[in-house]
Amino acid sequence: MDTRAILDHTFTVAAYVITWAIQLGYVAWLGLKWRAQKRDGARTSQSQR
Amino acid sequence: MKKIAISLYAVATIALMVWGFYQAIYVAPEEQTMHEVQRIFYYHVPSAMVAFLFFAISLIGSIGFLGFRRNQPVWAQVSDAWALAGAEVGVVFCTVVLITGPLWGRRAWGIWWTWDARLTTTLVLWLIYVSYLLLRRFAAGPQVQTLAAVLGIFGALDVPIVYMSNRWWRTQHPAPVFGGGPDSGIKDPAMLAAFSWNIVAWLAWGVLILALRYQVERQQQKIAAQEAQDALDA
Repeated sequence: MDTRAILDHTFTVAAYVITWAIQLGYVAWLGLKWRAQKRDGARTSQSQR
Repeated sequence: MKKIAISLYAVATIALMVWGFYQAIYVAPEEQTMHEVQRIFYYHVPSAMVAFLFFAISLIGSIGFLGFRRNQPVWAQVSDAWALAGAEVGVVFCTVVLITGPLWGRRAWGIWWTWDARLTTTLVLWLIYVSYLLLRRFAAGPQVQTLAAVLGIFGALDVPIVYMSNRWWRTQHPAPVFGGGPDSGIKDPAMLAAFSWNIVAWLAWGVLILALRYQVERQQQKIAAQEAQDALDA
């Protein structure tokens, strides 16, 4: 494998890994936000009683 | 029933993502001039398509909010939630576009970035929607949703400019893959299949997280309304 092919491969892997890191990172952040909301919602309904 | 449908959709989406990845890496042949880095296109182009679609959803939501805000408060809130969800998930996909593009460009052109029309208008689009999200996050007061809706509408005006930029002006960015004239399009059936599967897969994934973001925002609106009501009652 020559240097050009190794660099091509590295850049392609980097693009795929970064894409998934961004997408999964965003979904994880959404999940945390959703969980915090559920907690807040439960607290609000408790305080109403 | 709803939970089962969502779970089935999520499983189908994951299967599509795996299949799209397999097509892009193992089935599609290596392109003769760009070699392996061309495979970045299988993620880059579908991400751009999904970003455009979600910015369009944000535009419709913004117009809906402005239309409904005076006499249909529930519809206005629903529209606003779609506008925010479309803008935020659109920014996620646009970020992917702006990172995978330079990674390809560094190998194909020898440079990370150039100020050509397609790249610059895409960066401007991203900046407009990031400013939209910052406005939603940090501004306070009753006019925030209205201001955001106006910004969302103006931001969406950049989408057709981005799309047409490499048709209107001579750019370093590659010519349009689809709808760019008689010579455009992918000739190799295996490459076309890899492209198509990844478009379907990323669209399915995008719709899943868009729906999730919409639900989170609707819940947030309900909590905020309840807190406002509690404050009035106290």
